[in-house]
Amino acid sequence: MVENTVEMDPVEYTLRKRLPWKLPKRRNDVYVNMKTDFRAQLARCQKLLEGGGHREICVHGLGLAINRAINIALQLQASSQGALQLAANTSTVELVDDLEPEDPDEAGEPMTRTRNNSAIHIKVFYPDTP
Amino acid sequence: MTENRGQMTSLKVAGSTVIEPQSASFSPDVSSSSPKLWNFRRVSHTEDSSPYPIPGLAADILHMRVKEGSKIRNLLRFVTARMREDRRDSNSTSLRQVVFTGSGRGLTKTITCVEILKRTVGGLHQVSKLYYKTVNDICENPQQGAPDVTMQRTVPAICILLSKDPLDPQEPGYQPPQTLTVPTEDTERCSAPVRPDLSPPSQNTAKRLCLDEWSICSP
Repeated sequence: MVENTVEMDPVEYTLRKRLPWKLPKRRNDVYVNMKTDFRAQLARCQKLLEGGGHREICVHGLGLAINRAINIALQLQASSQGALQLAANTSTVELVDDLEPEDPDEAGEPMTRTRNNSAIHIKVFYPDTP
Repeated sequence: MTENRGQMTSLKVAGSTVIEPQSASFSPDVSSSSPKLWNFRRVSHTEDSSPYPIPGLAADILHMRVKEGSKIRNLLRFVTARMREDRRDSNSTSLRQVVFTGSGRGLTKTITCVEILKRTVGGLHQVSKLYYKTVNDICENPQQGAPDVTMQRTVPAICILLSKDPLDPQEPGYQPPQTLTVPTEDTERCSAPVRPDLSPPSQNTAKRLCLDEWSICSP
């Protein structure tokens, strides 16, 4: 529970973060997070590429997971001896926080605050050789 | 537009996640065999300067190096001033392209800078490249007379080119300029949420799913 102390409000708010997207997921979409072990996520990507028969996978990372997503993509490329190519796209995602007053008796209504966060989408693919 | 991001603990975590997998495949080159390796003080570090991995760069290009401690406002103020210069000048030989590079802990900040710049100065074509960068850390040995230790690390790095002129769309990592800021991925696919809602007690941070532009919120 994080109290929002940025505003000089006498009312204290509880900060709750809303989930970002709806995570539309194709088979070859991998969303990277900071909670799961790095090696497990790396192994999952490798399994999709080798065993799953996908020509390309897309690795997504939001905020702090951008570093990890880039690391995973670069490791995949290194372990493939240069057979894989990377294409990175960046975007901005809007995140919404709900601010609720701590004390329900206090005169404060629930507010929402939006902030922006960066996201990266890395396509890892075998290039089509003519 | 607020950029509130809790970065208190993220610095340490980002550092460990970057270095850990590196040590699995690239072992650091340590010259001394002293067991007290981590008492060393890092004196300086040099990077190997490799050319930009992006082909076809103009000669007069602005290179912005984003580091961990860079202030985004300062960087962007400088870049927007330079990029908007050409509107007032009659010549068109002013700034058309700018390159942002960042590595390690400054990686996320680089991307954020690029995103904000794309929003303030619209119509920019983007090409992003990811690569590994080797950094040589020179650590001073606390013991007298012992030589300094040079450690080599490889950190992920990104190089992003923003250009007012159209770039090659076939280039991997190319992104055309977008007019709207909201990503349209989630509005196109209006399927039901994949994740079931957690409905935790009020102590935990609540996670609510938002459907259809925050009009319906499932508790």
